Amino acid sequence: MSTLSRDQVRTMMAEVLSAQGKELPADDSASLETIGFRSLDFSELALRVEDEIGDELNFDAPGLRSIETVGDVLDFLDQLQTA
Amino acid sequence: MSDTATAPTAATPAAIPPATCVLISGGSRGLGLSLVHDALANGARVATFARTVTPELEALAAERPDDVFVGSVDITDTKAITTFIKEASAKLGPIDALINNAAIGQDSLHVHTSPERVAQIVTTNLTAPLLLARAFLRHAMAKSGRGRIVMVTSVCAQRGYSGLVTYSATKGGLDSAMRTLAREMHGRFLVNSVAPGFFASEMSSVLGNEQLSTITRRTPSGRLVEPDNITPVVRSLLFDDTNLNGQVITIDGGGSI
Repeated sequence: MSTLSRDQVRTMMAEVLSAQGKELPADDSASLETIGFRSLDFSELALRVEDEIGDELNFDAPGLRSIETVGDVLDFLDQLQTA
Repeated sequence: MSDTATAPTAATPAAIPPATCVLISGGSRGLGLSLVHDALANGARVATFARTVTPELEALAAERPDDVFVGSVDITDTKAITTFIKEASAKLGPIDALINNAAIGQDSLHVHTSPERVAQIVTTNLTAPLLLARAFLRHAMAKSGRGRIVMVTSVCAQRGYSGLVTYSATKGGLDSAMRTLAREMHGRFLVNSVAPGFFASEMSSVLGNEQLSTITRRTPSGRLVEPDNITPVVRSLLFDDTNLNGQVITIDGGGSI
């Protein structure tokens, strides 16, 4: 399975937000609540990543609930890809 | 009139007698274990199985060897289920009631649930209970000819909750099967469902605190359901002459109204 770099995922995250007229801050510690990145946005991002790497990244909701910042999103997707 | 005793005739069949020997799936902990205790307290013998038999259930079986038969059986193992029913009835006598309780949970959005996990939930929560009901009915029709079935389903079968797509589908499927079975058994077996809301423990432990508090806040009674809320209703379905048949009884503090 190929994997996407953190920067590539960050770019895709920015695209998800941009489609809603929102901006992705440069700071990884930015709060998802503040920038309006919701759980379904995470789903959309995960599915875009899946599309690129050609494999499914299935996961349970509890892991998702601990995600609070931009950095958490990038870390979580990084872990899913390397799991 | 309901207060007039009527002798059974061709037009008025006799009431289904109270359960004397109850088969309970998933009786090792939580609601299942509470149902085991309650059936015993009401004078029935109990055959119960689970993938893992807990020390609590082992102790109960040791304490009441003439009334309790316990097995370590996976509900998806059809052959093992048939063997368990044979062995249990050989020890306890004919089984005339079934509580279809065992289930596995889910906490993942449908798009992120693997096809394998979807299949596993359907197999465990829908296919296996249907086959257990079939095995029970084949036994009970041949032995006692009459009896009672209670399906433990969920309020999720009636309302939408995020993260529970496959789980809800299985519980809704079980409610539908319950109604058809009630019709198909033509009054020889009373078949009903109890549909609990979210428990504060066990299955709902996977929900986040925020979700749990939201559900509690939206519940008119102001509290989530506990196993002790479910047992009296199941008890009535097993032992009382209620004439309830083909119904789903939702026990959720009014959260779904």
